[in-house]
Amino acid sequence: MTKTDTAPPLAGSANRQPGRGIRLPDETGAVVALAALVGILGWLRPSFLDPANLWALLGQAALPGLLAIGMVFVLAMREIDLSAGAVFHLAAVATALLIEAGFDPWLSALAGIVLGASLGLVNGVLATTLRLPALVVTSGTWWMIQGLSLVVGKGQTITPPGADGSLFTTLSAKAFAVVPAAGIVFIALALAMHIVLHRTRFGYRVQAVGSNPRAAAYAGIPTARVRLLTLVLMGAMAGLAGVIHGGADGAIAPGDGSAFGLLAITAALIGGTSLSGGHGSVIGAAIGILIVQVILSAMTLFGVDSAWSTFATGALTVLALALDRLVRLWRNRRVDGGQDHPFD
Amino acid sequence: MSDSPILFVRTVAKRFGGTVVLEDMNLTVERGSIHAVVGESGAGKSTLIKVLAGIVRPDRGTIEYDGKKVTIGSPDAARKQGIGVVLQQAGLFPERPVLANLFVNGEPLHNGLISRREMEARSRDVLRQLGLAVDVHRPLSDLAPGERQLIAIARALLENPRLLILDDPNSALDRRQSERLFAVLRGLKARGMSMLYASNRLEETLAIADQLTVIRNGRDVLSKARQDLTASEEAMIGQLRQSLFPLPPRALPTLAGTLRPQITVAGLGGGRLDGICFTARAGEIVGLAGLAGSGASNLLAMLFGQQKAREGKVRFPDGDGLPRTRTEAARRNICLISGERGNGLMPDKSIAFNLSNVVVGARDWGTRWYSPRMALGRAARQIEALRIRSAPEMPAGSLSAGGQQKVIIAKWLEIGPQVVLLDEPARGIDIGSKQEIYALIRQMAASGCIVLLHSKELSELTGLCDRILAFRQGRLVGEIADAAMDAGTILKLIAADEPGSEHRQSRRESAA
Repeated sequence: MTKTDTAPPLAGSANRQPGRGIRLPDETGAVVALAALVGILGWLRPSFLDPANLWALLGQAALPGLLAIGMVFVLAMREIDLSAGAVFHLAAVATALLIEAGFDPWLSALAGIVLGASLGLVNGVLATTLRLPALVVTSGTWWMIQGLSLVVGKGQTITPPGADGSLFTTLSAKAFAVVPAAGIVFIALALAMHIVLHRTRFGYRVQAVGSNPRAAAYAGIPTARVRLLTLVLMGAMAGLAGVIHGGADGAIAPGDGSAFGLLAITAALIGGTSLSGGHGSVIGAAIGILIVQVILSAMTLFGVDSAWSTFATGALTVLALALDRLVRLWRNRRVDGGQDHPFD
Repeated sequence: MSDSPILFVRTVAKRFGGTVVLEDMNLTVERGSIHAVVGESGAGKSTLIKVLAGIVRPDRGTIEYDGKKVTIGSPDAARKQGIGVVLQQAGLFPERPVLANLFVNGEPLHNGLISRREMEARSRDVLRQLGLAVDVHRPLSDLAPGERQLIAIARALLENPRLLILDDPNSALDRRQSERLFAVLRGLKARGMSMLYASNRLEETLAIADQLTVIRNGRDVLSKARQDLTASEEAMIGQLRQSLFPLPPRALPTLAGTLRPQITVAGLGGGRLDGICFTARAGEIVGLAGLAGSGASNLLAMLFGQQKAREGKVRFPDGDGLPRTRTEAARRNICLISGERGNGLMPDKSIAFNLSNVVVGARDWGTRWYSPRMALGRAARQIEALRIRSAPEMPAGSLSAGGQQKVIIAKWLEIGPQVVLLDEPARGIDIGSKQEIYALIRQMAASGCIVLLHSKELSELTGLCDRILAFRQGRLVGEIADAAMDAGTILKLIAADEPGSEHRQSRRESAA
């Protein structure tokens, strides 16, 4: 111990002890923003704080939220999956059609999730064998999957026969009469996957690959497999969300979920996951999607034309990006004394 | 034109983050002369040159060029002043044709369009001078490394600079190309051009320089005209480096050679390599010498499962052959430590995270959980052992280059590697860390690792290795041990000219 103390401090080297406990978790910003938003809205419109309204909000956030959970893993790996929204839709349509064809609803739901996972597998196999970024691959498969669900669903709204479906009663049922089942699944998965990302070997590998893919490969981390598994996870999440959508809402319109992929990215960004990879926060993303939903519902609450909601989502994305970037630049300035990348 | 020096560098200082690269650098370049800057890599040569090229801004100090005080704020500003620069890692575009690479950012225009004919006409002379017979319409990546280096020099010459700055220009050249380059440089000098020539090969530098400045730890320690240099000073410059290396325990290597674990390579070929045979035993450091493109790096990549072998047999101490992937290599305790920036570090993650790279990331046995607390413990241990001056929670990118390299080595030490492959492990780091890393390498060998060390710095090889294998153009051309190990002998082996270069060229043309 004394050895390090007596060593002459190298000029400028980082030998000061970091202040423990001062570092706030990455999700702090998002939590504060959500609390402030809810507080202001509740103050302006007390009806907003009505538990039924809040639970409904959670239910609406659950579907894109499930996609956001998967997306955090993808972003933490320094990739982007554009096809998630399309996978969501195809899984929903396929499940509905299977039920319509007389299969057991639970089996059909499982098939929907497996379908989502295998679409993720296709993305992953393409990305790893062609050595392309997932962004490039999924910009193609997004169209293909979208096209498939149009073909399979014949471009019409599908209403699976809900009469017998035990699945649908379960999914549209609300625990304790208020909490939507989808919301419970969402919260449980968000907590579980947060632990997976930060406390398991798989999560460690995802972050390592995202932080520096070359260094990860040189350290013997099986980067191709990590990439594949992450995209499969993303697909399975999208599939699960699709299945729940079919179950909870009872009707699947052709345009459903088309924006979910981008919405998931927005949520992850708001929650402190950065596009440059290396780290991510699933809980942050869950809060992020809630922020988006709160803002959207606030707009309806204040009577803003719903046509503006798309614009608002976009503006929120840009805002989150800008904040992330500014914070990062500021931190780099402090660490490197104003020099961005000395040797590059 | 006056006779006053063309360039003054006065008390220039520069630090990157925590590392002081230039502390107090002074330099005077006379008109129409070749001024050499010699020093170990990591001494600050490249940074000095980047300052003059407008790539790096100095923190302190003045630069006087052509009688005026100047600030060189960007590479473009340097160009406008008439400073031509050939960097060590020349910013060339491998996919673009040779011609396009020759005229980057200065294409001759004809009616507003780039005139290819004029580019050809202008480049013809320069290329002939440099002895380059290449098809200028082929992509640059088709050229051999030496030829690419000459293209970078040709590009600088085409801008007709008054001061030409070269950073280790012949590191990739074979002897013939090297001599050709020197002839060209002397011709340019005769026409009045001034040159600043940085190198870490003293012998060559002495052959061409008019003046000489020795740089150490970011300071100029000696500056003299070539003819004033006494023999003892020459010897001193040569010996500066020797003290860097730890003394090897000489008793070990000759003892009971057959019983120790060893790695046997027989007839290995693939990529550039052909018919490589050698044996390396635990406890010794085997050096691999070779210029860029000689295949020495490829050999390490193959042993690490990063490149496929075409033929041949390899037997590792664990009884198996070549690993098929890097993951398999890591799990079999074979490690590759590369000095190339970006190959080993996750700069935004903590030191603790980085040190778990192999233990948690590469292996698939043990617990499935990643425990940050265990990672911190691991990091604390390695930080103590390797004297890394930081705390486990700090981002690895906040360390100095030497500290970062120690982290990379430490993450492999965590698994107790059996075979240690080193690819220029001490590139671009400060002298102090270098010394510590050399001592570490020695320690690894002494503790029973098989160590293969590839370096372009010959002093590193002679100072550290027990024996040295010399590579030239994909073949093993010799083995040197003990007393015969000196830079001159190695250089003769790895850079000897041979019909090979022409042969290669004609083969490329027939393939086209």
